[in-house]
Amino acid sequence: MTPLHYIGDWLRSTLMLIPMGTVRVLFVALPVLLILWVLRLPRAATTPPGTECRRFENLKLWAVLALLIQVVIYALG
Amino acid sequence: MPSFSWIDYTVVVAYLAGTVAIGLAIGRRISSGRDYFLAGRRLSWWLIGTSLVATDIGGTDIIGVGGASYQYGLAVGNFEWIGCVPAMIVAAFVFIPFFWRAGVYTIPEFMERRFNAGVRSALALCWLLFMASNVGIMLFASARMFVTAFGLQFDGGLLAGHEITLCLLVTAALVGVYTLAGGLAAVVYTDVIQCTVMIGGCLMVLVFGLIEVGGVGALVERVQEIEQARAATTAAASAAPQHTALILPVDTPSPFPWTAILFGLGLILSPAYWIGNQAIVQRSLGARSEFEAKAAYIWGALLKNLIPLIIAVPGLIAFVRFPDLDQADNAFPTLVASMLPIGVKGLFLAAFAAALMSSVDSYLNSAATILTNDLYRRFIRPSADERRLLRVGRLTTVGLLIWAIGFGLYISQIESSGIYVIFQTLMAFFQGPAFAVLLAGLLWRRATGPGALVGFLGGIATSVSLFTLNQEAICEWLNLKPLFQVEEPFLFFSIWAFLVAAVLIVVVSLLTRREPDEKIRGLIYRRGRDAS
Repeated sequence: MTPLHYIGDWLRSTLMLIPMGTVRVLFVALPVLLILWVLRLPRAATTPPGTECRRFENLKLWAVLALLIQVVIYALG
Repeated sequence: MPSFSWIDYTVVVAYLAGTVAIGLAIGRRISSGRDYFLAGRRLSWWLIGTSLVATDIGGTDIIGVGGASYQYGLAVGNFEWIGCVPAMIVAAFVFIPFFWRAGVYTIPEFMERRFNAGVRSALALCWLLFMASNVGIMLFASARMFVTAFGLQFDGGLLAGHEITLCLLVTAALVGVYTLAGGLAAVVYTDVIQCTVMIGGCLMVLVFGLIEVGGVGALVERVQEIEQARAATTAAASAAPQHTALILPVDTPSPFPWTAILFGLGLILSPAYWIGNQAIVQRSLGARSEFEAKAAYIWGALLKNLIPLIIAVPGLIAFVRFPDLDQADNAFPTLVASMLPIGVKGLFLAAFAAALMSSVDSYLNSAATILTNDLYRRFIRPSADERRLLRVGRLTTVGLLIWAIGFGLYISQIESSGIYVIFQTLMAFFQGPAFAVLLAGLLWRRATGPGALVGFLGGIATSVSLFTLNQEAICEWLNLKPLFQVEEPFLFFSIWAFLVAAVLIVVVSLLTRREPDEKIRGLIYRRGRDAS
């Protein structure tokens, strides 16, 4: 056994203590946090420049949709 | 194995002929290096987004993901979900706009502006070696899969026994012709057709399969019944029900424990792939505007949500219908053989060819781009004009194709069972460190060229060392047990390589002279400025 083996075994046994319910929360939290980040992006970063932007042209809408699908997948999967 | 009729073959030939014709037609409009490598920066978002997905899903992925789903369950779908979507969204809004605005041809080129020529060369060499070899690997692996999975075989004559070689050469010739003629534009336009055919073909397998097993509810019930029956006869943990679970425990017998998926795939390998892989990023550099480059990634992320349903779920359907297959990789072809009617089988064969070609053409074009721009134009002929770059680009494409054919044929002559996996592992060696360099370069003003170079090389040394210490022969020789307890631990290599690279970048950067402000102006992400 090398120090790397001890570190690896300790990490593995520590991570095994995390309940799977908590793990699922982590998987769902990742897209949720990204949704919040996307919603806070300035409008100029998500719309085409120099034109009157229609609602469906705002990339926030589609990015949030893609991430919401992820939330549903990992909440149910 | 599937048996094909002349109608099936006609469908495939018509599809292949159409693809090559479109590529050649686009080639007539190519007149400069910028046209060849960046499609003249005229590509629209839906073309690029669809091409991103087509490039990512290779022929071996369709068979391999179906097989992995059959063997380990739906957890393999993580590679297309958490392993793609979050990274694509972040890439769209943070990284891609930077690369597009810089007007560069390659990621290594951007890295020279931020750091130095050493970082550019190290990154370029790693990507070039990987991509050039990977074209050969993809050609060989797909040819072998074509022959074995679909049972293509000549009963007599000169070609008997040379089916793999023939498949490899035909694929290389078809892809080579249109990639050589039309460059990135041909690659992207044909990718769109290929993606449509691929999704259509796989969707048919899914729909026919679900109808046959009685719907989604019945599929889940029957999967669980089979697992419970196996659990009753097997005492091992490997018999625990896992096929319908996306998130697997740390001690799962499959290669996809949640730790590897979340930390290795979700947080490191996936962003490294979508932000730093030249074959992926190059098409967004060819977008007609910064907004379209961002929109392409968002469209790709939306499409990605669909992919596991059409390539992983059929593996579960095969698990229900044929639970005792000798080889998991036969799951998809067996399903095709048993369910699809004549003509539709041909469409699936075309879908497989489409998936294969869309990956090979992208890697071929991107390898030529790196060779031409990061080595030829950077070190041999900096004053080369656009027409000369076009000529050199086409020559390097031919050279790389010849190399890939030779490499593919070479590995077909030797024991090759694990070569595809080895090359996936090779990518994990340097993707983590490359991502650390990218992150530091774009997000940390204090990162320096020497720090980036030492971090990159140190990260690669770490992953190579971990790989070595996990080899059975080495462990026996040193009288040690393997470091990792999962099969194919390449996701873990990438975590440690990334962490070591990041620490080295920080330490060496703080010990070296900071980069001048005028050099890095406009190259560092600042939320208030760059996101507005």
